[in-house]
Amino acid sequence: MTAIAADNLVVRRNGAILLDGLSLSLGPTGSVAVIGPNGAGKSTLLKVLAGIEKPTSGMVRIGDRDLASFSNATRAATVGYLPQYFDPHWDLTVAELVRIGAERSDRVAAGAIEQATARFELTTLGQRRWSTLSGGERARVVLAAVLVVDPPVLLADEPAASLDIRHRLDVIRTLTRRGGDRLSVVVVHDLDLAFTFFERVIVIDRGRIVADGPAKSLIDDRRIDAAFAVDFDRLKTPDGWLLRASTSGS
Amino acid sequence: MRSWPLLILALALSILIAACAGHDWATPGDLFRAMAGAPDLRSRLLVEWRIPRVLAAALVGALLGLGGTVFQGVFRNPLAEPYLLGSAGGAALGATVALLVPLAAPQSFILPVLAFAGAWGATMLVIGISRVSGAVDAAGMLLAGVAVAAILGALRSFLMLALSDETVSLQIVLSWVLGGVQTPSWPVLGLLAVISAACLALTMGLAGRLDVLGLGETMATAFGLNVNRFIAFAVLAGSVVVAAAVAFGGLVAFVGLASPHIARWLVGPLHRPLLPASALVGAIVVTLADAIARAALPPAEIPLGLVTAVAGGPFFILLLARRLRT
Repeated sequence: MTAIAADNLVVRRNGAILLDGLSLSLGPTGSVAVIGPNGAGKSTLLKVLAGIEKPTSGMVRIGDRDLASFSNATRAATVGYLPQYFDPHWDLTVAELVRIGAERSDRVAAGAIEQATARFELTTLGQRRWSTLSGGERARVVLAAVLVVDPPVLLADEPAASLDIRHRLDVIRTLTRRGGDRLSVVVVHDLDLAFTFFERVIVIDRGRIVADGPAKSLIDDRRIDAAFAVDFDRLKTPDGWLLRASTSGS
Repeated sequence: MRSWPLLILALALSILIAACAGHDWATPGDLFRAMAGAPDLRSRLLVEWRIPRVLAAALVGALLGLGGTVFQGVFRNPLAEPYLLGSAGGAALGATVALLVPLAAPQSFILPVLAFAGAWGATMLVIGISRVSGAVDAAGMLLAGVAVAAILGALRSFLMLALSDETVSLQIVLSWVLGGVQTPSWPVLGLLAVISAACLALTMGLAGRLDVLGLGETMATAFGLNVNRFIAFAVLAGSVVVAAAVAFGGLVAFVGLASPHIARWLVGPLHRPLLPASALVGAIVVTLADAIARAALPPAEIPLGLVTAVAGGPFFILLLARRLRT
């Protein structure tokens, strides 16, 4: 059974091809890292999968239904999307942001807001305004607002890129742990995090998937080096692999 | 939440002060006697002229507060206001035509109709331009709005120069353009009250989606909002509100810009409390400004728009400076 699938996605914007006939199929559970060089099409892929951008051609399916046939409310409750940058225009409180997240679905479980607030350790921050929060607190607020409706599919676009390492690990662990009973697809910049924490890694370059497989076996794949246009030294460590770029590639 | 009793009390007080103020100052006792139906001329003047005028000013202010809140919410820009988007300019053009071109219908009827048509037409033009140019986002509409407002302003100036052969009609247009609440009959005041209530209901229906839009267009789309369709609809709703305000109050500068800011400091940025709070602030501001316009230089009346700009501008700058410092 597939939770979300893409059939031959093409996205053209102003003459540039951002996705070039990309297809993939993802099961209902698991943690998937999407990696690739800048401009490979990772963010575009996530936005198309989330229904935020429409593909020029091709189709996204959720279960066995065309995503385009979903009502906006159903789509928003089914596919959670964590943006790369989030900066609300009005200086809302933590409680208000989580409630706005919950109100996008008309089938929110009773107590979901309290649960999400407690789970992301926001209980004491409820009345604090966004402008007064630290980077780590902000990341937890966005996670709570997106996950409060418990969407079956979560698409996250490098949500932790700007955080320090401890908070980045917290966010990545939250997302991969969710892969235990839901689907978590995360665009990851840090390749070591991708190969250490995620079950499956998809490598994208120039709008296409160039490699796709379990993290453990994909780490040796030379197509990763080709995609990033560098040569990686693979260093074994007790709890995973380290990829170190050597400069000979370009 | 503690701001609500304060706002309502302030509005009641403003209305009382404004009803007392004028060329001929009245006491609250005079007002009470007049409302109770005293037959003397002074009481009848109060009931027929001053009290409806004061209430109309409050309602026009409330509409301006609502309209400004909707526009600031849609464009997520603290500088967005009806004047920037062409809707007030369109309403002004329509009203200028009504005042200067001899038409078959009575002016009291044709003025609000043309004002509304102008506001609606200008807004549709802005939406149309941004759609044709492929920029159906907030920034694209804001730019189109500035351009349309400039063109409409020029057209209005041209009409005023070309069509007013006598200085009297020019003065009427000018005083209207500078803002001034007409004194309505009680039935017309009732109509204005109904329109205002409808506008409040209409804008409150947008409140939740304005909050979602405030998260940014990407996040709003991810949360299930059809962003472009909602923006077009909300702008249209905002221009209905502005058209109503302009039809009854002329071009009153600044209230639509300042009221949402003041209200946001009192009740926060969520639109469900913000819209009614902004309406209350707008009502208080215009009620007091209209009282000043009537009472400051008797027997002459200062255009309301000048009072709101001169009194409101420095006040707003002061509030901004204080807020930036804290």
